[in-house]
Amino acid sequence: MDFDFTPDQQALREAIVRIVDDNRDLPRSGGVVEPRACHPATAMEQAFMQGGYLDLALEPGCGAVEAAILVYEAALSPLVMELGGAALVAPLLTRKALPRPVALARVEDLPRGVRFLAGARTVLVDCGDEVAVLDMTGREVAALEDPFAYPLGRLTAAPDLTSAQRLPGKGGELRRLWRIALALEAAAAMEAAVRFTTDYVKQRQVFGRPVGSFQAVQHRLSADAVKCRGVYWLAMKAAWSGSPLDAALAALHAQRAVPEVTYDTHQFNGALGMTLEHALHCWTFRLRWLMGEMGGERTHAADAATLAWPDAA
Amino acid sequence: MEFAWNEAEEAYRAELREVIATLPGDWWDAYAPHGPSSPRLMEHARTFNARLAARDLIVRHWPREYGGQDASAWQQIIISEEMWSIGEPRSSLYLGANWAGPAIMKFGTAAQKQKWLRAIAGGELLWCQGFSEPEAGTDLSNMKTRAEPVEGGYLVNGSKIWTSYAARADVMFLLARVGGKGKGGVSCFLVPMDTHGIEVRPIPGVHSRWDFHEVFFTDAFLPADALLGEEAGGWTIVQTIIHYERIGAGRYEKARRGLDHVVGRLKERGVWDDPVVRADCAAALALVEAARLQTYLVIDGRAKDSDPGAETYLARFAMIQADHAVANLSSAYLPDLLVDGADGHLRSQFNSAITAGIAAGAAEVQLNMISGRHLGLPRGA
Repeated sequence: MDFDFTPDQQALREAIVRIVDDNRDLPRSGGVVEPRACHPATAMEQAFMQGGYLDLALEPGCGAVEAAILVYEAALSPLVMELGGAALVAPLLTRKALPRPVALARVEDLPRGVRFLAGARTVLVDCGDEVAVLDMTGREVAALEDPFAYPLGRLTAAPDLTSAQRLPGKGGELRRLWRIALALEAAAAMEAAVRFTTDYVKQRQVFGRPVGSFQAVQHRLSADAVKCRGVYWLAMKAAWSGSPLDAALAALHAQRAVPEVTYDTHQFNGALGMTLEHALHCWTFRLRWLMGEMGGERTHAADAATLAWPDAA
Repeated sequence: MEFAWNEAEEAYRAELREVIATLPGDWWDAYAPHGPSSPRLMEHARTFNARLAARDLIVRHWPREYGGQDASAWQQIIISEEMWSIGEPRSSLYLGANWAGPAIMKFGTAAQKQKWLRAIAGGELLWCQGFSEPEAGTDLSNMKTRAEPVEGGYLVNGSKIWTSYAARADVMFLLARVGGKGKGGVSCFLVPMDTHGIEVRPIPGVHSRWDFHEVFFTDAFLPADALLGEEAGGWTIVQTIIHYERIGAGRYEKARRGLDHVVGRLKERGVWDDPVVRADCAAALALVEAARLQTYLVIDGRAKDSDPGAETYLARFAMIQADHAVANLSSAYLPDLLVDGADGHLRSQFNSAITAGIAAGAAEVQLNMISGRHLGLPRGA
């Protein structure tokens, strides 16, 4: 056992953190954050592309753990960039870099709403046993007006997958990788929301003392911190192990943690946290979408139960 | 980053299982359900611990000079997993191996090391922990028990409460006050339980008839060499050992095996196909495995000689949640198996979960520590 990154992984993480930190400023109007639900990470995206980070998982000596480091650290930013599909799922599933952004979708969600579908150049579609690799060229997508801090879209016509490349027998692998990415993104967004809230309650005074000095606040934020770290380590282990059970547990634990973390962090930011000028929503409204992705916790729970305690043959 | 056991660790686990295989056939019916402080289990522990000692299995993680094999901290958690998960057949030997022994290594005199450490490694001692008092549980520094310096040693007067193992332990790791208030004045003593002036009374508990005790000290004389470390320097020792005490028992492993057992029972009853039941079990499994990894993070730090940090408290709180999640499944779906000796394995997990949020520091204390040390939040008024 060794919970530290290797020197190479540590160097990689430090380089990623520098890029994320150098490009995390939210656009502002006057003194406040420009009130938009979703803030794209344009500069961060450029920096990652120029540095070749998006193909990291395909580099010799690299793989899921390195991609996981990238996905997690970037998702701590209040700015949004599609990385889970392009940098983790697609290269590890297909062993090649697909045109990005890469959206991930269950087939039934394509006409309803899919994260990053607006603007996606590729969609990996979970069709059960197989995966459809959908080239989005020429396909009509309606961008969805929404409160969620992701760009969402839906296909305007019923999905025609007949022309899509098929990856037979890869459905399980897609779900495994998607769950890792989902858990990492949720772990990071929860961690960032808790950190943001912690900073706020240290400053904000009520009844003559910081909000964060009240035990009712401290205990809930502390319990949330335990959830954040639990999801993080489950996701990192899942990235390392390649186990479908580990991935299902990580996604399950992540989605189950979201309601309390989003509730607590909004409660402790009060009315300010309900405004788009306050950055909290940049993480919590991503989380509210992630909570239901892939069909929500029931799908991970069902798979985890089957994998952990298989029925006798 | 590496999440797998190495060959030496796997071999150590296999050796432990060979000794575990010698446990009585009615272990889950007659021993484990009543807890590691029950008379029968404590009596059996003396035989069992001798078997472990004969193969040098008890303190592999200790330095060779004290009876160990210079193995890493990972071997300490492996023996904890294997033992705690089956109801701790070592009984309170683990207190000595996990934290009393390391405290003696760090703060003891040469004579104390000679006297106590070999005896722990040899599996000869069952311990109890004299910390809590009627007016000092979570607020430990409020303790009143006094050790008055007298010629040749100390006279101890006062009482301890909720003391596990006390009726049959050989030695107590005692905190008593040598003057001072609050954390000042607190001193540590190593006290043979047959010392004149010590009286033990059992307190039946909801989790075990035999776990809790009240321990009274009436002019109990302790020789000067019973003092561990500096007089009035006990709080430093407490701060050192608390990390080992809170993260030492492999509660997550017991919860995991308990959960597997619950699922087996649910399958027998034909309710395993219920998606709600399956989802509840999967959610509990996620909590258990999250607790395991957060515990391993602490052990990784120990193996690398890093100073313990806030991870200890995060891991302990995660473990409490995992323990309760599994025990709650028994209550929710199999309550009839918790009564009348119907299923000792379920009952053992149920009983130990009851103690999880209280023993080794209340859950709320762990949250206080996370709040201050992990989040950096200001102290309350």
